[in-house]
Amino acid sequence: METLWLFVLGTLTVGYFSLAGFDYGTALLLPFRRKAEALQRMTPFFLGNEVWLVAAIGVLFAAFPRLEGELLSGAHSTFTLVLAGLVLFMASVQLRLWWWLVFTGGLMVSVGWGLFLVHLLDAPPLVALVMPVLFAVHGWVFQNRRWTLFPLTALLCALPIPLAFSSIDVSGLMAHSDTLGLLAWVAIPIIPLVVVLQWSIVAISSR
Amino acid sequence: MSAADLARLQFALTTSFHFLFVLLTLGLVTLLVIMQTRFTITGAPVHERMTRFWGRIYVINYALGIATGIVMEFQFGLNWSGLATYAGDVFGAPLALETLIAFFLESTFLGLWIFGWGKLNRWVHLALLYLTALTAFASAFWIMAANGFLQHPVGYRVEGNVLRLDDFSALLSNPTFNSALMHVIFASITVGGVFMTGVSAYHFIKRTPEVDFFRRSLRMGVVTTALATPSLIGAGFAQFPIISELQPGKFAAGPGVALGFMILIGMTLTLVSWLTLPLLIKDAVIRMRFPLYLMVIGIPLPFCAAVFGWMFREVGRQPWLVYGLLRTEDAVSHVDASQIRLSLIVFTSLFVLLACVDWALIARAVRRGPDVAPAPVSPLVVTL
Repeated sequence: METLWLFVLGTLTVGYFSLAGFDYGTALLLPFRRKAEALQRMTPFFLGNEVWLVAAIGVLFAAFPRLEGELLSGAHSTFTLVLAGLVLFMASVQLRLWWWLVFTGGLMVSVGWGLFLVHLLDAPPLVALVMPVLFAVHGWVFQNRRWTLFPLTALLCALPIPLAFSSIDVSGLMAHSDTLGLLAWVAIPIIPLVVVLQWSIVAISSR
Repeated sequence: MSAADLARLQFALTTSFHFLFVLLTLGLVTLLVIMQTRFTITGAPVHERMTRFWGRIYVINYALGIATGIVMEFQFGLNWSGLATYAGDVFGAPLALETLIAFFLESTFLGLWIFGWGKLNRWVHLALLYLTALTAFASAFWIMAANGFLQHPVGYRVEGNVLRLDDFSALLSNPTFNSALMHVIFASITVGGVFMTGVSAYHFIKRTPEVDFFRRSLRMGVVTTALATPSLIGAGFAQFPIISELQPGKFAAGPGVALGFMILIGMTLTLVSWLTLPLLIKDAVIRMRFPLYLMVIGIPLPFCAAVFGWMFREVGRQPWLVYGLLRTEDAVSHVDASQIRLSLIVFTSLFVLLACVDWALIARAVRRGPDVAPAPVSPLVVTL
């Protein structure tokens, strides 16, 4: 049961970061590109990543209740930065008024995740730059349609946080098997369903 | 202010902002279901144009509402880690089901609906909207089940110093859940009706050339409000005996003024919408003109009522977070008050900004009016 839920949480987190990379990456590259065109390309994917984040935190709460609170409150200011960046990013992408707001939002989110990585690994602060750099590279690959490189950069964006997570010992922090059993019935069919549906969105919008 | 006070204030503000978006989302999706069903069956262009116009407003509101929802979800872990530690096994179940069954699927169905305009078979496209609406209400269902547990914990056993899930079905038959869910559902439909009425009235004040379009919208708004409000009030009063029995201290502890204002607004909307019904004959209400101004002024009323209602429900639960089991002050994370103060300031200013952006984008879509030529629609951001 423990492995199953680590796998579910891992899948959701990987889903978020691999989808998020070119979103925030596009924002980071905005100063160097034609703004309208770059944002237009991102549109079908916009918000597609955040749903994975929401699902991941939901699973974290229910399946790892003794971990969730400690993990989030332990990095309070970092998450304040990530969330503030997210709100700014989501609002400014839709407002389409000032591109530098989109850039700032994207930068805050990516630096925020970098700082979370630093927090998890107890690494020097400079390591925080790993995330914005990876996101920017992934965004560049996406914007220039280098599809052969795409899976590679997606993976590079997705892996740091889940790998850093694996340093945490979750035994004793998980919910009782009664709760986990109930949730498993829901989580396991829904994740592949969402993958198929999101794939259809991309397929339809590029038609 | 202590860390607990700051965290409470932050939660109250986040929930209130989030709920404003939620209400309009649920209300509009219900009305969209009706419009698009009529279009799919009859094929009449006016129904399609209505679906597009109101659908665009709905999507703007939904996409911005997500931002408040994410902050809302993180806040449990950031500021209230004691809740997950103690009651996460039980409270977490409906919360996780909401994120997985409801939100995760809802957003994805909605995405397909947005990008499937004109590209999918119209029955398939309609089915996507039904699925979006269904999962949206499923969201309300699970959130209210989780909140019902906080008001009146059931279905748990105590094991050491944590709660374990004992009987999941008890969470779903919790009396503090069922009537409150109906109350929230009818409140959102009322919001949809009042909003549609007000926006249509605005266009008549501006002497719109789209008479048929907004005449239909205004009628739909008024009829929806008139049909929803009696059930709204019924489901509201049905909670009183339950509260007296299960949370006897609530009427003394909760802010009575907020409750009073909420009831007053509910009664007013019921009365006014029923008085307007006969005036719909031969468009009397549009020709009289002055009621149109009242309809525009009335748009914020159901939103205020909903926030008042939540204030009563949540403040009245104090000093408990989980009624009778976990005190609010014991659930606060071990975080410096200064950190919570910082996040409170950051999020509150961003939410004010977000509400203004929502307002500005919706106002822009409203002023632009319905499309004249059936242009390709991607209501999400692109064409705004």
